[in-house]
Amino acid sequence: MEYLLPTLRKKQEVDSLIRDTLDKVLVLRFGLSSDAVCLQLDDVLYKSVKDVSKFVTVALVDTTEEEIQVYLKYFDITYVPSIVFFFNAHHMKMDSGSADHTKWVGTFQRKQDFVDVVEEHMVQGCKSSLCNCRRYTERQ
Amino acid sequence: MNHNNKKKKSKNEQQEFEFCEVCRLNHNNGRRHNFFPSHKNSLSSLLARFQSKISDVKFFLKTPMLILPEHTHQNRLWCVFCNCDILELDSQFACSNAVGHLASEEHLKRVKGFMWKYGGGMDRVDLFRITEADFAKWEKKCKSLKAEAAKTQSVGTSNDIHNKHNAEIVNSSCNNNFDSLKSCIPNYVVPLHSYTNERTPLSGSVLSSSVSKTGPSLYNIPGGSQVQDAHYLKNLTGSVSNQHFPNSLARECSSYGDASTGSVYSGVRAGIGEVSPGLVNLTHVSSASKVALEGNVHTGAPPPWLDGTKGDNLDPALKPESREPVSSRAGKSKLNPKRVGAAWAERRKLELEMERRGERVNNNFDANWLPNFGRVWQSGTRKESRKQFQIENDAMREPDNHLEAVMPIQPYISKRMRKDATHDTVGKSI
Repeated sequence: MEYLLPTLRKKQEVDSLIRDTLDKVLVLRFGLSSDAVCLQLDDVLYKSVKDVSKFVTVALVDTTEEEIQVYLKYFDITYVPSIVFFFNAHHMKMDSGSADHTKWVGTFQRKQDFVDVVEEHMVQGCKSSLCNCRRYTERQ
Repeated sequence: MNHNNKKKKSKNEQQEFEFCEVCRLNHNNGRRHNFFPSHKNSLSSLLARFQSKISDVKFFLKTPMLILPEHTHQNRLWCVFCNCDILELDSQFACSNAVGHLASEEHLKRVKGFMWKYGGGMDRVDLFRITEADFAKWEKKCKSLKAEAAKTQSVGTSNDIHNKHNAEIVNSSCNNNFDSLKSCIPNYVVPLHSYTNERTPLSGSVLSSSVSKTGPSLYNIPGGSQVQDAHYLKNLTGSVSNQHFPNSLARECSSYGDASTGSVYSGVRAGIGEVSPGLVNLTHVSSASKVALEGNVHTGAPPPWLDGTKGDNLDPALKPESREPVSSRAGKSKLNPKRVGAAWAERRKLELEMERRGERVNNNFDANWLPNFGRVWQSGTRKESRKQFQIENDAMREPDNHLEAVMPIQPYISKRMRKDATHDTVGKSI
């Protein structure tokens, strides 16, 4: 799915995308192109990206690259796929039902779930508060 | 018994649902529905709307008019009684298909059926149709219009106000080869066979060579005379970019020099300096040579006021740009100023604008830059957690370097060897 969504392999690319995505939710998917669950998530992301393109930017980050390892340590990413959300270069925390509020671990079963999650992020980003996305994990 | 049967039947009828096209809903009220006020209101509004459309059609019934092919798609009518769309794509006269439909027997039957079913009033049927007498009158008028159009076509520009003499000569030369034009030119448009202006700005050969390169072709009639369809020329200048077509023409004009010396038509000689009889009282202004070299409005040359005042042109171009930051500011004001990262967003937008303009921006973005991230096992603000991570990172790197620098590589010396060495030194000292 790397040819369908922008894939970032260098730290500088990730940095510039985080810095330059303004007033939009930035979705960074950390994963592998060879993993089945990652592929399923990428499929959901690809299908949804057009619908949410006005307020969301989606990018894939390849966790096998050397320069990306610092981000894996920084974001405490141990399971893939993991999605980290940013809004105006600020990390958006979310309550997804697990103890880890810093990221979304796993895939989305439906396109609508992803759309709902990013919509929630956008709303809360404009309001400046925590996103509560428990209901999307409970569905799964 | 009969009375009870009737009651049962009426109950059964009430239970059956039917669709009312006027109200666009399903009901089981039977014939009573027609007397409901909501139905009456809907019916009156529907019939009033259709009546207004029919009045437009009846206008063209009284005064038939020829319709341009481009406008045929605009004349559409939806017949409410027949539930069909009446298009005018193939018709020569305005609303001809609509008139034919409204005069037809099928339409009359459906109107009657509609009125009976929905209670519109059978006396109003004639308002929504065209009688046979009116239709016959309309047909006669159309025929007479066609005949007139055909006559004017065959005669040519006999109504030319400036050059009647020239028109006669042209007509005599064109008559033999006019059939080729009939299929191309619409009936109601009569092409000019000569310019009403005595000056002939362009020679026919010039026009044909340049126009054929760009697009539509002129109609060449053997015998030397050419007809330029003003209609197509207008379309040319409108559709093709102004810089492309007029420049080619202007170049051609300039290359041919003084176009006024060349005459377009073999039989027409509007010589230089000759004034037609209709223009006796007007002062003659001779600027033909300049026009030929520089071009004019007919050749599509740029107007002279735009050459010298380029600054004025830039101002309207600047205006939308100046409007853009205003609109963007207005857009920004719509965003919540207290949203997450508002200060960062505005600062970064300014930096990006400065970078676009080419100005240098002082950024502290080095290779070690990291965003503020709230880590899992960290307490405090995101900035603190980022600093903590950077400290950890540096600490991870520094001990490795430090150890490598301090630890020299030495061979292993056993304890016995070390003891023996110390004994030897003590023995020597004693």
